Amino acid sequence: MHPVVFGILSALLVLSALGVVLARSPIRSALSLVVTLFLLAVTFLFLDAHLVAALQIIVYAGAIMVLFLFVIMLLNLQEDPPVVMHAALRWLAFAGGSLFLFAGIAMFLGSAGAGPGLQSPADAAFGTTEAIAARLFTKHLLAFEATGILLLIAVVGAVVMAKRKLV
Amino acid sequence: MDLANVDSLSFIAPEIVLTVTMLAVFVLDRAVRAAERIGDAVRGGLALALVAMVWVPHELDGWLFARQLVHDPFAAFFEVLFALAAMATVWMSMGSAEVRRMQQGEYYGLLLAATIGACFMAASANLLMAYLSLELLSICSYALAGFVRHDRGSSEAALKYLLYGGVASGVMLFGLSWLFGLCGSLDLVEIHAALVAGSVPPATLTIALVLILAGLGFKISMVPFHMWAPDVYAGAPVPVAAFLSVASKAAGFALLVRVLYPTMSMPAGGGAWDVLGGVEWPQLLAVLAAVTMTFGNLAALRQQRLKRMLAYSGVAHAGYLLMGLVVLDDTGLEAMLFYLIAYYFMNFGAFAVVGILHDHAGSDDLGAYRGLARRGGMLPAVAMAAFLFSLIGVPPFVGFFAKLFLFAAVVQQELYTLAVIGVLNSVISVGYYFSVLRMMFVEPPAADAGVVETTWHARTLHVVLLVGTCALGVAAGPILGFARYSLQFFSG
Repeated sequence: MHPVVFGILSALLVLSALGVVLARSPIRSALSLVVTLFLLAVTFLFLDAHLVAALQIIVYAGAIMVLFLFVIMLLNLQEDPPVVMHAALRWLAFAGGSLFLFAGIAMFLGSAGAGPGLQSPADAAFGTTEAIAARLFTKHLLAFEATGILLLIAVVGAVVMAKRKLV
Repeated sequence: MDLANVDSLSFIAPEIVLTVTMLAVFVLDRAVRAAERIGDAVRGGLALALVAMVWVPHELDGWLFARQLVHDPFAAFFEVLFALAAMATVWMSMGSAEVRRMQQGEYYGLLLAATIGACFMAASANLLMAYLSLELLSICSYALAGFVRHDRGSSEAALKYLLYGGVASGVMLFGLSWLFGLCGSLDLVEIHAALVAGSVPPATLTIALVLILAGLGFKISMVPFHMWAPDVYAGAPVPVAAFLSVASKAAGFALLVRVLYPTMSMPAGGGAWDVLGGVEWPQLLAVLAAVTMTFGNLAALRQQRLKRMLAYSGVAHAGYLLMGLVVLDDTGLEAMLFYLIAYYFMNFGAFAVVGILHDHAGSDDLGAYRGLARRGGMLPAVAMAAFLFSLIGVPPFVGFFAKLFLFAAVVQQELYTLAVIGVLNSVISVGYYFSVLRMMFVEPPAADAGVVETTWHARTLHVVLLVGTCALGVAAGPILGFARYSLQFFSG
């Protein structure tokens, strides 16, 4: 991926992610999340992961976000009231967050090129449906099956939680 | 050995048995209505899984499923511990009036899935399996914590656990992605190789490690990631709280040891280890261990409810256990494994007695224990006394030997400050454990307090755990030898 393309994409990604957190109205938050997920799919596309990009759009930006918006509209959520937070806590969070951000940036700049070399562009078979399927059913078979149990349990847990009534 | 998918199947026979039992329980719950039948089926499945754990060939270590899992004595140790923890939880649940009102099939199914997650967590050979199995354990725990119907406290527990857990696992995932970016592989052995090669900048690695510690610290209830523990233990059904305090904590420690020891350090001969990559995590862990045990013990002093008290005591014990990781030596890790065995008996025991009183009085208030010994509850009271003495670390109970080995390992490495803090903490802990003992034996029963009746089912569990707590102290040598044998990591 060309550095300029990557720069533009990641700047847009950060902006839309900030939109998710900072927007007062839940609808705006959810729509920003759609943009974030879509931009993430574009990033995958540039990284030659075509199937993952397509799945990202179909599953996340499509199905899950539609469900999100549906629930938000169904519950008729209003704008969030401004968060009341202790001033000292706010400053502490701000200081901690910025320290982490700048330390992270400084370290990444300092260690540029130190990591393992990445070959680019990837070989032609990378990211195709066939290649992913082959890995999913050979190398990562156990992880695939474990995810199956995880999803089953998540459904059971959700049903148990939803069926209960509070008195 | 490096086995492919089909050849590996026989090595995960215990997990397969657990999975089949889980699925069977979901179906069985629709077919039979008797609660005891389902509990019995789960116990049968767990017993079969334990048999399978012994049957699985242990002569050869190696990778399973194309390097997704690792098969070594360390993983086997934790698998047995988790299966025994699940067994004790099921035993406790079957006698519990609280659990009898719940959806049996879903309850036991989630418990079994949590056990599978914990087993895979201890055996994971790469970050993908580690994270997946951690989530499997966590998601089951969230649902189990909120299982009491029509109860606000239980719902609050589930929600708090879910929110804190979601944040912790997100932070941990971020840290894992840094580790992957720095080392270029998800495989723990390849990460180790990258660290040995020395091409990883230490400062960046430190941040990655701190982020991962946040996720694992949440599992082992280490300060400052312990906030969930008191509320979750207080709201969750008693057997679930016991499971979380033993199995979930042990699973966190298993993964922590796998990441910190065979991956981020290197054997230096004579049982000692050297830190790799220039990250001074032992110092960080030493501070965290001291803070965790001190905070846990001080907070427990003020608790009036037993489940909250045991939650803070669990935080304190996480601090003691962390000392075993600080010393960078095999003796510390052996002591930690021994401590986990001891903790299994004494903590499950304490929760089993809390469960009896919870069913009898409907609360875990300290006042409910007033004069327990004089109103029919002699066995629970005496058993509780043994468990609490063991938790303090009084000889001849197993808890004493557990603490002895741990402190000995710390002193051997000349970490005197940490050892002194540990001993002082044991003294502080006498304060709150004794208030329970005084309530049970010295205070007269309240006038309207009924006679506490115990079923033979509950009595059997008490006796088994009591025998473990007393006898393992006598047999401390062989158990420590077993812990030493279990301390073998396969790394190719």
